[in-house]
Amino acid sequence: MGTLGRAFYTVGFWIRETGQAIDRLGSRLQGNYFFQEQLSRHRPLMNVYDKVPYVHKDAFIAPSASITGDVQIGHASSIWYGCVLRGDVNNITIGSSTNIQDNSLVHVAKSNLSGRVLPTIIGDNVTVGHSAVLQGCTVEDEAFIGMGATLLDGVHVEKHAMVAAGALVRQNTRIPCGEVWGGNPARFLRKLTEDEMTFFSQSALNYSNLAQAHAAENAKKLDETEFVKVLGKKFVRPDEVDSVLNAVGDTPPEITPPDNAALDKAPKAS
Amino acid sequence: MANLARFTNKALRTAYSITKHHAQPQLASSERAFATEAAKSITPSPDRVNWDYRGQRKIIPLGQWLPKIAVDAYVAPNVVLAGQVHVWDGASVWPGCVLRGDLNKISIGFCSNVQERCVLHAAWSSPTGLPAETSIERYVTIGAYSLLRSCTIEPEVIIGQHSILMEGSIVETHSILEAGSVVPPGRIIPSGELWAGNPAKFVRTLTHEETLEIPKLAVAINDLSKDHYHEFLPYSTIYLEVEKFKKSLGISV
Repeated sequence: MGTLGRAFYTVGFWIRETGQAIDRLGSRLQGNYFFQEQLSRHRPLMNVYDKVPYVHKDAFIAPSASITGDVQIGHASSIWYGCVLRGDVNNITIGSSTNIQDNSLVHVAKSNLSGRVLPTIIGDNVTVGHSAVLQGCTVEDEAFIGMGATLLDGVHVEKHAMVAAGALVRQNTRIPCGEVWGGNPARFLRKLTEDEMTFFSQSALNYSNLAQAHAAENAKKLDETEFVKVLGKKFVRPDEVDSVLNAVGDTPPEITPPDNAALDKAPKAS
Repeated sequence: MANLARFTNKALRTAYSITKHHAQPQLASSERAFATEAAKSITPSPDRVNWDYRGQRKIIPLGQWLPKIAVDAYVAPNVVLAGQVHVWDGASVWPGCVLRGDLNKISIGFCSNVQERCVLHAAWSSPTGLPAETSIERYVTIGAYSLLRSCTIEPEVIIGQHSILMEGSIVETHSILEAGSVVPPGRIIPSGELWAGNPAKFVRTLTHEETLEIPKLAVAINDLSKDHYHEFLPYSTIYLEVEKFKKSLGISV
């Protein structure tokens, strides 16, 4: 059977060579409109001359995020898919266990109308929702920026404050502790209850755990990802399933996870 | 491939260590003391690469959840699908979107389209108590830069650009949401109406002709997505570039 295997191998090779030759022929036929694929030049972490991002080893940086310039990211923080953190003209500091969710933009100003230039400072345990735009603002610990919010220069969001989804917070607004501001332009909506304030740090923790699952998956080498594809869903590493399920810290105890392997490890989070 | 990673790693590490002492940021005033504490405790990982030639993978399986894309659905290479995401037939997901089904399911129905830079996410639980998955039924057009979180969009709806739909909201069939509308959590947009604003408020009911236009828009975008779809070969030819790269770096192929 050795020779038969060898025969298949050789024929396979011929077919692949033929395919590649036909590919070259097709490229020639396409002429001016031929598109040649390039390696992805996207750099998740990029320095602008001497301004280098300084990222903690625990932080999850999505490969499609762009962190440029003078950015510091603390322990257990996560920067999700498609974010742009541009610290090129000033510095951005992000504390620990903070999450900057997908497609957000964190920016700093070099000059603005009032002449005061501020770096962007985001504290610990802050949740910045999807597609938020933060420019030159200060967000203190355990605040919550809703998705789609836009925070302009000089905004100061105090501890345990919340910016509602879709809000546009005008320049130099100060959002006091324990209040919800929303709308366009942002104005005071209501006060936060105690439960909601404790929820903020819980949500930050949940996101840190979820980030670990994503980090593990994104860090896989080509061999591992191909291997999983080949074996399909039949082969699942038990620690992966647990890591995703455990990431959801606020699972009510009545809900049983799809496979009971996670049950004995359930109270790991929080 | 491992050699390549190690090479880029080493080059970056030497460059990084040279510039590291320049990069200590100057954090001045005392009111930002909490940030200074964090700065001192950051230990960067020596393994973190600044550049990976693979870029961002489109499909990110999490545990046993593998995102499923129908054969004739157009999903731009820029998009990130993570977790439990199903993109059904004829649907299109345009560049820059992020569909994160890591906490709950996301499904894009037949002939629907999610336009550029949208973020679809599903929370673990919804305040309304209904299943918190984000489900987008057939013939739905979701305008660019929208944010959808745990909402249910019934068939034949148009969601305007830059709209924000929060947890538990339901947009009933044949309705249109204007651009920039923010739908608060748990809000139901009734059938056949036009809503707009932040927070979304009723504007007027839709005429029958407008209702007929809704699936036509979805089909038109489906046609457009076919053009985009046909620009891509079924398999990438990036391996040719990798070979060239390895050759130029002197790494034995």
